[in-house]
Amino acid sequence: MSTATSDTTAEPEQDGELKRSITGRLLFFYTLGDVLGSGIYVLIGLVAAAVGGAFWIAFALGVTVAAITGAAYAELVTKYPRAAGASLYVNKAFGSRPLTFLITVSFLAASMAASGSLAVGFASYFDTLWSGPPALLISLVFVALLVVVNFIGITESVWMNMLMTFVEVGGLLIVLIIGIVFIGQGDADFGVLTQIDTSGDYGSPALAVLAGISFSFFAMTGFENTANVAEETIDPFKAFPRSLVGGMIVAGVVYVLVSMAAALTVPTETLANSDAALLEVVEAGILPVSTSFMSTLFSVIALIAITNTTLVTIVTQPRVLYGMAREDVVPGVFAKVHPTRRSPWVGLIFSGVVVGSLLVIGTLVTEAGGGIDLVGRLATVTVVLLLAIYALVIVACLKLRGQDEDQPFFRANTPLLLVGLVGNVAILAFTVYDDPHSLIWCAGLLGVGFVLFLAEYLFGSSGTGSRTPDLDSSSTEV
Amino acid sequence: MHVIVATDGSRPSLAAAKQLKAFADPAKITEISVVAVIRPLASVAFADDLSEGKLDGSFRDAAQSALDTIAAVYDGWGPKVSKRIRSGSAANEIIKAARQYDAGLVVVAAGGRGLSDTVLLGSTAQRVQHSAPCPVLVVRPAPRAPKAPRTRTKA
Repeated sequence: MSTATSDTTAEPEQDGELKRSITGRLLFFYTLGDVLGSGIYVLIGLVAAAVGGAFWIAFALGVTVAAITGAAYAELVTKYPRAAGASLYVNKAFGSRPLTFLITVSFLAASMAASGSLAVGFASYFDTLWSGPPALLISLVFVALLVVVNFIGITESVWMNMLMTFVEVGGLLIVLIIGIVFIGQGDADFGVLTQIDTSGDYGSPALAVLAGISFSFFAMTGFENTANVAEETIDPFKAFPRSLVGGMIVAGVVYVLVSMAAALTVPTETLANSDAALLEVVEAGILPVSTSFMSTLFSVIALIAITNTTLVTIVTQPRVLYGMAREDVVPGVFAKVHPTRRSPWVGLIFSGVVVGSLLVIGTLVTEAGGGIDLVGRLATVTVVLLLAIYALVIVACLKLRGQDEDQPFFRANTPLLLVGLVGNVAILAFTVYDDPHSLIWCAGLLGVGFVLFLAEYLFGSSGTGSRTPDLDSSSTEV
Repeated sequence: MHVIVATDGSRPSLAAAKQLKAFADPAKITEISVVAVIRPLASVAFADDLSEGKLDGSFRDAAQSALDTIAAVYDGWGPKVSKRIRSGSAANEIIKAARQYDAGLVVVAAGGRGLSDTVLLGSTAQRVQHSAPCPVLVVRPAPRAPKAPRTRTKA
């Protein structure tokens, strides 16, 4: 012990369980919270308008396609437990840098559009609590607050995530209880559950249901973000299939039951014309509790649910930018993390600004008589981009069969994957056919990625901007 | 004595590691555990500013390369060096590691300088020195060089 000759070998330590912190249960709640908050609170009115009283069918079919896609993700995540998600799978399967770039930018754009849609939804529910401030202001403040919260790192608490998920499920349970009480009172007309409205834009029942799936699909998205925590999940081989697919199935059951409860208790037209449709169910006055109390409570729950999901999307964007900056695909500033907080603050601010711009542009277009519903439009943009990614992920999953299979991995059912692929493509084709203008928005958002790429290409220097440190220097100058 | 040197992949954490070497007696240190904590739900679960490496979607690789850089500081110094990656909240995991390894000292960097440090509460270093079961060496960043055209707050 007296001389400096003892060993300096640094063996990597196997701490077993200690090394990872996300358990299967946490992963399940992460999936459930992320999926449940995106959409049903915001979009149920649009779906009801498209399909009619039987709109639960749209939710059931949509969530089935999404759960199959989730199975493909589970297979790929267990093979490649990395935070990069779809970009990584597509890169592994096709090895094409332009395609990988396109997928990464599409994912970023989808996430930004989702944040925008959710922020508008947040403002709609907020309006029911306090209708003073203009909706645009509320949604902008909402996004700005989430950026700050993210910077500080409050979002990193797994317990907070779980608590918010419980609240989300609680809100939907209220709707279910109302439905059950209503049925118990004997006033329910079950005929409404089979009514498909073919008098509107969609002449055939099949088209009306397809439209419903397309509109409701936003509510199915979010599960792809579980790849974020893949690397930190204990025993991913077991946890992912169970938690991801299980979470989707639970979400699907909840969606179908909530849709039925809403259809039974409130006339379809009322749902269709409401910005905060589930609130109509609560305000129908079926429970023997003060309606104003219930609607306040429910609005608060809806706000928490939307916040939970938006947080995940706003966490994701700077991470994608960070990864791209480290790859030298976008300018190196996006790889900067704050010295104390370790948050990618440039990326966070950039994401906040892009989402804010989407909200401002969307509001201006709406006010100029553009005839768009901003929540729906941004949700459609998200769905178009994500459906393309989902379809490609399933193809990647099939293409990567037989590769990298030395570790145990979850194998998704092949015929089901083919059904899922057809489903994703069909919904994508319909969505684009039904709302071709959404492509302009998609192109605009993808353009943001290409501008960043050009900026790096034209002005960027090689390297990430982080110098290799001088180990001999004892200066702390950063 | 078992010493824990925490790193978040930042340059100040490298400076802190060197600070320990600058004054401590290697003969009195039995083992150094370099600890990196991955934060699963954070945007960037682990950012390694200490090397030029690309990120292949693996924050574990990033944490590992930060650990390698820090551990290299103690090459040939004497004590056994082990590298440990943990997962969860940074401050909690450092405190837990200190308990688990029965550490005699924890070395952390106090992060950046400037407004954000003063305004935003709850930095990892603060929480560690508040709850650690042993002495804590908090290495403050050096004051800004005088040439910097910025008013200096008192050190």
